[in-house]
Amino acid sequence: MGPVELLHMSVFSQSFSPCGRFLAAGNNYGEIAVFSLSAALSPDASEASQKPILNFTAHDGPVFSLLSTDTHLLSAGNGEISAWSWAETSLEIPEINAMIINPKDNSLIVGGGDNNIHIMDMETGIFKSVLKGHTDYIHCLCFKEREEEILSGGEDGAVRIWGHTEIPLSHFQTCSGMASQECARPQFGKWISCLATDSDWMLCGGGPSLSLWHLRSMSPTSVFPLPGCQREAVFYQDLIMSVGEGPHVSHCLHGGTVKAQIPCTPSSLNTLALNLKNSEHRVMTVGGSSHQIDVFTNFSYRAFSLSF
Amino acid sequence: NIIIIVIKRFAVIAKSQSITPESCEVRVYNEEVELEDRDPQQDYMLYKDTCADLAKLMAEIQELKSSGAKSVEIEERHRQCSVHFITLKKLNRLAHMRLKKGRDQTHEAKQRVDVLHLQLQNLLYEVMHLQKEISKCLEFKSQHEEIELVSEEEFFQEAPAEISRPHVTRDDNHQLTLARLDWELEQRKRLAEQYKMSLARKEKIQKAIEQKREYLSSLQPGLQNIMQASLPVQEYLSMPFEQMQKQAEVARHLPPPLYVLLVQAAAYGQACDKTLSVNISGDVDEAKALSRRPEDSQEDESDSDAEEEQQNTKRRRATVGVQLEDKRKAMLRRHPLSLCVDLKCKDGSVLHLFFYYLMNLNILTVKTKVSTATDLSGAVSAGELLNSESLLNCLYASDHGKETPNPANRYQFDKVGITTFADYVSDLGHPYVWVQKLGGLQFSSDGAQNVIFALSASHMEKTMKLLRGRLQARLALHKQFSSLEHSIIPVSSECQHLFPAKVVSGLTRWTMMSYQEFTHVLKAGLVCETDLFFMAVVERGTARLLAAVVLNPRYPEVMPLFSLSLHWKGERSGRTEDNLRAMESEVNVFRAELQGPRPGLQLLTNQIQRLCVCLDVYLETESQVCDGSEGPREFPREKMCLRTARGPSRLKPFKYNHPQGFFSHR
Repeated sequence: MGPVELLHMSVFSQSFSPCGRFLAAGNNYGEIAVFSLSAALSPDASEASQKPILNFTAHDGPVFSLLSTDTHLLSAGNGEISAWSWAETSLEIPEINAMIINPKDNSLIVGGGDNNIHIMDMETGIFKSVLKGHTDYIHCLCFKEREEEILSGGEDGAVRIWGHTEIPLSHFQTCSGMASQECARPQFGKWISCLATDSDWMLCGGGPSLSLWHLRSMSPTSVFPLPGCQREAVFYQDLIMSVGEGPHVSHCLHGGTVKAQIPCTPSSLNTLALNLKNSEHRVMTVGGSSHQIDVFTNFSYRAFSLSF
Repeated sequence: NIIIIVIKRFAVIAKSQSITPESCEVRVYNEEVELEDRDPQQDYMLYKDTCADLAKLMAEIQELKSSGAKSVEIEERHRQCSVHFITLKKLNRLAHMRLKKGRDQTHEAKQRVDVLHLQLQNLLYEVMHLQKEISKCLEFKSQHEEIELVSEEEFFQEAPAEISRPHVTRDDNHQLTLARLDWELEQRKRLAEQYKMSLARKEKIQKAIEQKREYLSSLQPGLQNIMQASLPVQEYLSMPFEQMQKQAEVARHLPPPLYVLLVQAAAYGQACDKTLSVNISGDVDEAKALSRRPEDSQEDESDSDAEEEQQNTKRRRATVGVQLEDKRKAMLRRHPLSLCVDLKCKDGSVLHLFFYYLMNLNILTVKTKVSTATDLSGAVSAGELLNSESLLNCLYASDHGKETPNPANRYQFDKVGITTFADYVSDLGHPYVWVQKLGGLQFSSDGAQNVIFALSASHMEKTMKLLRGRLQARLALHKQFSSLEHSIIPVSSECQHLFPAKVVSGLTRWTMMSYQEFTHVLKAGLVCETDLFFMAVVERGTARLLAAVVLNPRYPEVMPLFSLSLHWKGERSGRTEDNLRAMESEVNVFRAELQGPRPGLQLLTNQIQRLCVCLDVYLETESQVCDGSEGPREFPREKMCLRTARGPSRLKPFKYNHPQGFFSHR
């Protein structure tokens, strides 16, 4: 990677290993880098420990999404998904923007550029079903564990909720109807690029402002006045953390106020990940339009950066 | 006394009357004669007695006077006293006479002694004088003893009989010496004769030599004419012997690094590259003077320095600065000879390289000049491209040629107060590292510097290729710049497949920028001061795209970097917006696609053309985002795209597919 390539690198996806000691990140050149968190967070960490321990080219195109299972790291390139064993790397199957797992029936749900959601059985590797409905490519997916429902958001600006059938349970547009005056931001567009759910609540944002919806009533309860388009948002304890355009991580409260905006190195962020599995290495990492991944040990400030 | 006096008078009268002693019965009383008879002791006793009598009589008189006796007795006594007085007087006289006599005798004796003493002194003096004379005579060295004479045996063997006269000389040393001296004289006369003859012979031979020399020098013009006449023949047969000989002759006076360079460059030119030629230029006589008599020349230098200094002191006080300046000039002195290497290119332009050797610093420097077949003009922004100061900058990475590569020079500079060599570079030439290597000078950190032939040979080919490539790249850029300034992007036919047929955005401006303006645009790390900076403006409709371009001197090995900012409905830049960042990466990263046919001189123009294509795509697909509520779109969709957004950052399709002609994502 020459300096020019580093200059034009964007990090799109991150995933922590099952044990929580490693972080895998995927960039727009199709590379996946694995960083050792335990080395980077140790008291005698040096510059070398902020470099990847493993760096390989996974796909031809950018790696837009990464997902970790108990044993494997799944990475998606242009229409192909590869599963890499955390123990050793291997190459299996083959623009996939979002992947989630349904742990109950052990299936992989994939949403991508062909406007459809594919569900694959992890054990057999056969695609069980296809959920059609979106009119434009799918940006993000998330899973409601209690009811086993899938939520998907796409470029067409619609959020669809799918149950066990192939027909969406419901769908709504954030940019029309009653919600329009609150969330919609026509200057950006209508696409939904981030979704997060906390059983009854749902966060969605993108072109429209990031907003918190009550799922049962399908109406927005609070709209967050964040200037840029948000790309990823998560619920964490009683906070909402989101990243997107703009070089900061936004901490928001459920009520709709923005509590803090923590600055970070990339000029805009694509991915945010929280390492909650491992209590030793409890960090938040963000990546975006830069070759560096910022690591937050205390979520209020940036501790250091890992770099490709 | 009266009596004596009378007697003496009588004596004198008697004598004067010349009465013979027998005839005159006069009794002469000579008291002096009487003196001889009397005994001094008796006289002394008589004196005592008389004094005692006198004392007694006086006493009696006294008595009588006191007792008042008659005067007859006193008179008696008076008469006796008078007699005694007379006795005393006589005695006194006698005493005086004795004294006088004694004195006279002493005086006489003394005189006799004096005379003798004087004689003694005279004799002693004479003795001394004679002794001196004797010693002088004894010390006398005759001159003849200083002459080295042949030994006696030799003398007797060699000398003829008249001189040696053995019958006489064998016995008599004096004669022997005389004879030997004679012989010496003979010999010397003979040898003087021989010497005169030899001198005369020498003169003759000298004259003969002179004559022969004149003859030879008269031949010289004839030879020159023959050589001149043979030149056309040499050229016709392309065997430039004379030229090569002349060069070889001059080359002997080159300093070692230049000599290595000459040999290697000439060899390379002969073997691999017919378009390379090497010449020596400069003052040969000065070089000869330098090499022949270094002590003399140094003396001359010091003399002339001393003279200069004297002159300075005459005019004004020589300041420390002036002396320091002179020392600096002496340290930075160039060897009078220099090499000129010409690299000719196919299109007729020539790169002239002048190599100089700095004697005291032991480094080589180079100056360049480009002469082109066609007149290059009209490209304002291309002013820096062929600037001889920066033409050869960074031929090898980070070889800026501003500092001397010889670490020993640092100490030399400290002595004369030179802080950096960069001040003198424009005068003396650039001391690039590759120049040192071509001259076989290798500067390792431990200071071992040998002139190594192998080093020069191993670098020669690569450096010559790089030089030629550099010249061609710069000339190509020159041409490209002049057409860019006229807002035409020259895309060659081999590269047409990279771009769609119709490109609406056009280049409207191409200018030079300075380093200070650029630092605001791009983070440092990839940019340094020696790079060239330009600004390109691409426009379509109301949209203006400003691209800051940094061109590394090693173009096209190193890709130019573009940094974009778009002025259309606000201002966006590659820093803030992902799509512009993607456009930058499209232009900066994909070297293999954009460089075109070897040697890759189309790189810059292809990058600019791709920039225009990307701007087209951006503007046409961007209009779709803002929906029709704002009115008709400014840029109708003309490009064929499969999808306008893809991925989490919703990038636009910037990749052009040939020959299908549609745009897709990478």
